Amino acid sequence: MSRNICEKELGPGLTRRGFLKGCALAAAALGLSDELIPRLVEAAASSKRPSVVWLHFQECTGCTEGLLRASHPDIGRLILDIISLDYHETVQAAAGNQAEEILKETITREKGKFICVVEGAIPTRDGGIYCKIGGRTALEIVKDVAPKAAAVVAIGTCASFGGVQAAHPNPTGAKGVGEILGKPVVNIPGCPPNPIAFLGTVLHLLTFKRLPELDRLGRPLFAYGRKNHDQCERRAHFDEGRFVEQFGDENHKKGYCLYKVGCKGPVTYANCPAVRFNDVGVWPVGAGHGCIGCTEPDFWDTCSPFYERLPGIRVPGGGGVITDADSVGKKILGITAVAAGIHAAAGIGKRLTKGSK
Amino acid sequence: MYEKHLAWGVLFRIFHWAFALSIVFLVVTGLYIHSPWTNSVIEGSRSFPMAEMRHVHFIAAYCFMGAVFLRIYLWFFGNRQEKFWDSAPVTGRNIRNLFSTVTYYLYIKDEHEPRLGHNCLAGTVYIVTIVIAFFQILSGLYLLFPESTFWQGVGLSIFGTQQEARFYHFLTMWYFLIFVLVHLYILIWNDIRDPEGLISSIFCGKKFFEKGALDNK
Repeated sequence: MSRNICEKELGPGLTRRGFLKGCALAAAALGLSDELIPRLVEAAASSKRPSVVWLHFQECTGCTEGLLRASHPDIGRLILDIISLDYHETVQAAAGNQAEEILKETITREKGKFICVVEGAIPTRDGGIYCKIGGRTALEIVKDVAPKAAAVVAIGTCASFGGVQAAHPNPTGAKGVGEILGKPVVNIPGCPPNPIAFLGTVLHLLTFKRLPELDRLGRPLFAYGRKNHDQCERRAHFDEGRFVEQFGDENHKKGYCLYKVGCKGPVTYANCPAVRFNDVGVWPVGAGHGCIGCTEPDFWDTCSPFYERLPGIRVPGGGGVITDADSVGKKILGITAVAAGIHAAAGIGKRLTKGSK
Repeated sequence: MYEKHLAWGVLFRIFHWAFALSIVFLVVTGLYIHSPWTNSVIEGSRSFPMAEMRHVHFIAAYCFMGAVFLRIYLWFFGNRQEKFWDSAPVTGRNIRNLFSTVTYYLYIKDEHEPRLGHNCLAGTVYIVTIVIAFFQILSGLYLLFPESTFWQGVGLSIFGTQQEARFYHFLTMWYFLIFVLVHLYILIWNDIRDPEGLISSIFCGKKFFEKGALDNK
């Protein structure tokens, strides 16, 4: 990890320290040993930056915003520094025909080498007329661009699984990229996803020349391999039966488990509790709001109402270990007192009837 | 000729079995909690070995508490054999019995003094056991309610920190294990040496003595 390389290659605004920090963060998220960080850094600092075409369809640009406006700018800058972002509607300077020319030129010049990132769902109903860019439908664009790419990355739940516009009744017939292309793509779902998941995927690709291991839904296992519930800092309260009954109550102030007010952590695969957001260590549950399951397919339909308790989740001991044991314990002690009372009453009764001790 | 005498009331027998069975559950689950041997891979959203063990432990603990409460009640309001004074080494009759029982158990003397209630050696050990059980309950409640300022006050003044309380709680468990072994050994030994229906007395409440053996007692 030569100091010279880092200083020479870094773009303006990204310090060496920030660069290394971002690489170390990504390595940690990927679960790599620290011995591999130098390899990650070499790959990230390489002058051969992969060309990236970033397509926007039915979306809110929240994923891009989440990436670029992280409170600590290093991750966003790092991503922009290790890739050559040739086409990105939000940040590019070009517009109109000029922009479309760049897209055409890039996918011809970098054919089979560029990374295609898709943000937003693709409407399919009525020939896909509900989302058009430069006169072409989203469907036409993605079918033109994606097959020429070395890898397709769907960023955000919309591009991965359709997102909010695919929610019932899905008026525009919105679908995720993987479904449109009929082939596996890397899905980085989340609303928005954690930038670290994207950074980790790109760095993995650059360092090891292959995609990270994926789950059955195309999500990188390093970020989506475990459930939020199983990594949650409030998990102990779930097991013991200490729940928030309604927002703002005493238990909520104490930071108890949000399961009863609708937390979807028990069915959501993500690494939010471990990686957290915005470099300040926050995530929804940490801020007192339940997980809404935003990394899961069709979460708008299957995880709503967001503030209703998830059915069919087994709580240890029925209502939580301590809560349940306490209620059983009160009954046991009550029965004990009753037994002693009956014993005493029988003794007194006997004494009264027989008149002897 | 043997005659049948009622030694133990119903409530006393309920106490005994609640105490005995809760100790079995407490020791088994307590050993698991002390040293969980299952692979943590199965600890998760569908299987909760540690949570289940703790759940059983706490419920058994409440049974244990109820049993100890009943025993203390019976010290004062039970029948003659169940009362504190009948077997505590506080009267001349009991202290003499303590020595005669020790010499009998040590094979020094062959005469066995027939008693409807506990012999004084057993009675003394049982009283010590209830006192130890009482402290075990206190340390247990201190561990169960770590956020309660009341139990924190009790626990800190008697045991120290949570970790110290946990250590004493664990050590005390061994007292109960040793107690159970010795208790069963002496019961069987007595039943063989001097049959008076000692073991069955904790089920039916009755003991059998030769006619007139208990006179003047």
